[in-house]
Amino acid sequence: MRIVLRHEKSPFTVELQKLDRSYRAVVGDIEHEVETRPLGPATTLLVVDGWAFRVHVVRSGSQRLVAVGGEVYAFVPDSGAAEGRPTTAAVATPEIKAPMPGKVLQVLVRQGDRVDPGDGLLILEAMKMENRLVAEAAGTVAEVRVREGDTVDGGQVLLVLRYD
Amino acid sequence: MVVEPLGPMFRRVLVANRGEVAIRIMRACRELGIRTVAVYSEADAHAPHIAHADAAVCIGPPPSRESYLDAQRILAAARQTGADAIHPGYGFLAESPDFAAAVRDASLTFVGPPAEAIAAMGDKPAARRRVAAAGVPVAPAAEDPPRDPAGLGAAARKIGYPVLIKAAAGGGGKGMRVVRSEAELGREFAAAAREALAAFGDDRLFLERYLERPRHVEVQILADTHGNAIHLGERECSIQRRHQKIVEETPSPAVDETLRERMTRAALAAAHSVGYENAGTVEFLLTPDKQFYFLEMNTRLQVEHPITELVTGVDIVQAQLRIAAGEPLWLRQEDIRPRGHAIECRIYAEDPANQFLPSADKILFLQEPQGPGIRVDSGIAPGFNVPLYYDPLLAKLSVWGENREQARRRLIEALREYVVLGCTTNIPFLIDLLEHPAFARGQTHTQFIEEHMPAWKPANRHRLVAGLAAALDVATAPAQPPAEASRRAAPSPWRTLGRWRLGE
Repeated sequence: MRIVLRHEKSPFTVELQKLDRSYRAVVGDIEHEVETRPLGPATTLLVVDGWAFRVHVVRSGSQRLVAVGGEVYAFVPDSGAAEGRPTTAAVATPEIKAPMPGKVLQVLVRQGDRVDPGDGLLILEAMKMENRLVAEAAGTVAEVRVREGDTVDGGQVLLVLRYD
Repeated sequence: MVVEPLGPMFRRVLVANRGEVAIRIMRACRELGIRTVAVYSEADAHAPHIAHADAAVCIGPPPSRESYLDAQRILAAARQTGADAIHPGYGFLAESPDFAAAVRDASLTFVGPPAEAIAAMGDKPAARRRVAAAGVPVAPAAEDPPRDPAGLGAAARKIGYPVLIKAAAGGGGKGMRVVRSEAELGREFAAAAREALAAFGDDRLFLERYLERPRHVEVQILADTHGNAIHLGERECSIQRRHQKIVEETPSPAVDETLRERMTRAALAAAHSVGYENAGTVEFLLTPDKQFYFLEMNTRLQVEHPITELVTGVDIVQAQLRIAAGEPLWLRQEDIRPRGHAIECRIYAEDPANQFLPSADKILFLQEPQGPGIRVDSGIAPGFNVPLYYDPLLAKLSVWGENREQARRRLIEALREYVVLGCTTNIPFLIDLLEHPAFARGQTHTQFIEEHMPAWKPANRHRLVAGLAAALDVATAPAQPPAEASRRAAPSPWRTLGRWRLGE
């Protein structure tokens, strides 16, 4: 059984084979012997090539959140449909959204303004701090949807940019 | 044996706070036989602190201004539940002299210093003058400098760059800016004034000389209402991000007996200069050549109080309640004999790989560390949705060791055992920080993170093991319904934070 996962931007592919009391797992060109012993609802003792690790796994949507040795990983099963498409993180999105609820302190651009990467767009007060929102890529301000003093929700579209 | 009777004590204390500190205070109350009242906002209807109280009152909508910062609603909750005292915790109304006075005017006891002492220390320029007059060293500064570019520039040049802009009413990093050249001065000054106005309702600022690579060392004091005061030694809190502490320890690796004697004497003099009562902390900056300067006094319980409790054995929150009830100090200075070393780290819901931006989400799995010398002060529970509205502190992990190295290693192992899934935390960052050779050597200062760990990313040492665990989970899981698959395709706003720069 072939399982393709994605962690951050890089794929993690495992060829899994169930044996009598363990699994044979091939990652890259290397073969590993893996045994699992459940210790709790989310906790497993994973023995990889004779070395034991206490791992915790929970599901969040289709994501697998894994904790081991003080580290946390988010793996997403890579369905065929998603392959070859650029990830959201890799391209600048034209809609500039509020990452958290807050208040618009200052709008630094007007419709039609040219912006270069790093140019300030707007100052949002959130979590008691002033946050400066900047352009990720060069372009033009297509739309300004908020005014100074507005209270905005997390995820609300504040501005729309047209990238070059 | 004789069971010592408790002195006159409150019957019912309202805790005007949330999260781990509310739970900490409620524990102390119960141990003293006091009933407790929790308050909560609508965002905290399922918050763990409510379950620790004997009664709970909803005080309003999620924004702090309409709930935890609303003095009238809190006083109404106290009346409604028959509370005879209010403990403010830290943050929110803890350093509001108006609130302390309003509590007193309502014939209730404020568990903290007198309103006048809070006001005296809350006005930072006035506090500087006052402690300086009491013989406490202060750094070069300009109070309420002129706001016109020429006047402001002249004031900054007189102090000498780099200059630190601070809110006169401030604390906790809000309204604070470091300026290294005159070109940035105007813009930064305006931004700091706006931030100060938003955070404290007061946009007065002051400038002071910014000391490079100092240590942050503070002294815990206890003063009763009868004129007796002692100190509980120092804490070093140099490890900070965005001007907020994340790792604290006691004793400070930089403080020897002679320096401790000078610093604790200065701290007691500072407290005395404002007629201080109850628990308080006097903060200093300590330079590499062992000069120290008064920074400010925190007129409240400090987040990092557990490490002082671990080395001295004194329960600071119980002490606050007993002092507020009028009990004369039962400890003399010679009774305080700190033993060993303690280190605390703050577990924040934030992404250290992304400018420490807050991350609020649901706690899906939680496992807290256990073992000798380990203390967890936690405000979360599995299933709790961490609200976006408040400080993202989830919990504090503190350890005690016979010496610094034992404590450091114990803390690292405890952090490896600390599992929070569902909400991004700074735990992996804290492990790398504590393992850093400069931290191990005790070479800490307030620019430690910028200097030693800029652009930190997780090392992903266990990627193979984690990937195998995820793959096995996928292999054995039922297929996901299509709705789930489309939902995850929509990027969470937290994943698109590349455009954000904090604090500019």
